[in-house]
Amino acid sequence: MSYKIPMGPYHPALEEPYKLDMICEGETVIDANLHIGFNFRGIEHLAETRNYIQVIALMERVCGICSNIHTLTLCQAMEQLTGLNPPPRAQYIRVVVAELERLHSHVLWAGIAAKLMGFKTMFMTCFELREKVMDVLQAISGNRVNYSMNRIGGVNRDIDDPLAVLAMVEQLEREMVRTVIPIFTTSTTATSRCAGIGVLTREKAISCGVVGPTARASGLPQDLRRAAPYAAYAEMEFDVPVQQSGDVKARLLVRALEIIESCRILRQALTKMPPGELSTGDEKIVFTTGTATSRVEAPRGEVMYSVSWREGSRNPSRVHVRTPTFTNMPAVRWMVRGARLADTPLIQASIDPCYSCTDR
Amino acid sequence: MNLLESIPEQLGSTEPWVEKGGVHWLTPGAMTVRELAQAMNALHARFITITAYQLPKDEGFRLEYHWDLDGQLLGFPFLLAGNSIDSIYDLCEAVDWIEREIHEGFAIDFLGREYEPLLLRQGDKPGVNLREEKK
Repeated sequence: MSYKIPMGPYHPALEEPYKLDMICEGETVIDANLHIGFNFRGIEHLAETRNYIQVIALMERVCGICSNIHTLTLCQAMEQLTGLNPPPRAQYIRVVVAELERLHSHVLWAGIAAKLMGFKTMFMTCFELREKVMDVLQAISGNRVNYSMNRIGGVNRDIDDPLAVLAMVEQLEREMVRTVIPIFTTSTTATSRCAGIGVLTREKAISCGVVGPTARASGLPQDLRRAAPYAAYAEMEFDVPVQQSGDVKARLLVRALEIIESCRILRQALTKMPPGELSTGDEKIVFTTGTATSRVEAPRGEVMYSVSWREGSRNPSRVHVRTPTFTNMPAVRWMVRGARLADTPLIQASIDPCYSCTDR
Repeated sequence: MNLLESIPEQLGSTEPWVEKGGVHWLTPGAMTVRELAQAMNALHARFITITAYQLPKDEGFRLEYHWDLDGQLLGFPFLLAGNSIDSIYDLCEAVDWIEREIHEGFAIDFLGREYEPLLLRQGDKPGVNLREEKK
């Protein structure tokens, strides 16, 4: 006899509201349906009522974790419509903030995953480290969540002393290499709890079109920083970690390895940062009629913005946002099929879902 | 001829690619969206999204389908005089949520598929979010 068990919209394993209706036989999940939209904010519609300064502030609030990525993608699209090219120093600063945000996101996720594994001490360690990443972001931007770094044609703030930031990053890296990464990659507690559960096969990952660490953990080496470099990524050397097993452990390993790669990118960006201007200046910004599209590799995967403008208009005529969780979330249905009910909170969390983004 | 250059011929299009706004655009001509989806599957392109635009007056809608081919962003615009277009869900599983979202946001019907509510709550109706009523 099968029975339906709802998880959500409010559940200790969910940071934000969504609902996973699971059909179970005994302790085994046979199928699942997902429901989102509990916090739908109509941001795409709101964007049509904002001017080019206000729309940046609005889009910074699509996501509370990767707020910078949203403004970066939006500004890159608007730069195509205005013909403005950010100067090299601004491109490097964009890389630094984007990689710090990736560190922030991955360490936050590691803490939540640890909590769902029942590994509370690790949760505390990760959140302590996350605070330190936020301290670095605060030192650069003055803010801990919405950094307000991006503007059309560059960035709003300089990194006055890159080597001081580098020292903070190196300290963070040492702590991560000493604690978080070995525990997540070698400890029996973490690996035995995650191995073999929530498998998304390579074929299913292709079929669902998943992105980011979820795709890379299923054997797909896709990363826009490598395939379609933006900002100053073309000048950075880094590896794209890929795992083949497609389970929760693979997603854990990919993110752990990406923390190391992010530190590697940060070291290059901070040491090679060229001198120069932060933006194209305060000249009048003039939009041409048309649509521009930009994509970046956010911590959870590819973000895409399509922005349409009519010349002479104060506001965009359309802003469409495609977020990574919107793409990855449907795959959870396939990950939980055949899983034990008790594993489903950890499985759904393994894609690092963001409902703020999804319910934009 | 690289893979990108060979696509118009494979799709039976006489139009060249136009690179604009970060996208390689190809006007699909007589090709249907289902034929396009089959062609993209054959090329192992990765579906990204559909962007819907409501056109002024009563001109209908424009749907822009996007795929990624080796890091290149491809775009294919389709004009809808009415409110419907064929679904490609059976050919491309990744379109499921975006077709449902556009259906709910703009009240566009994707023919040949069934819907379950995605964003809508009880009592809402399609078109409640993004569709503008024409006066």
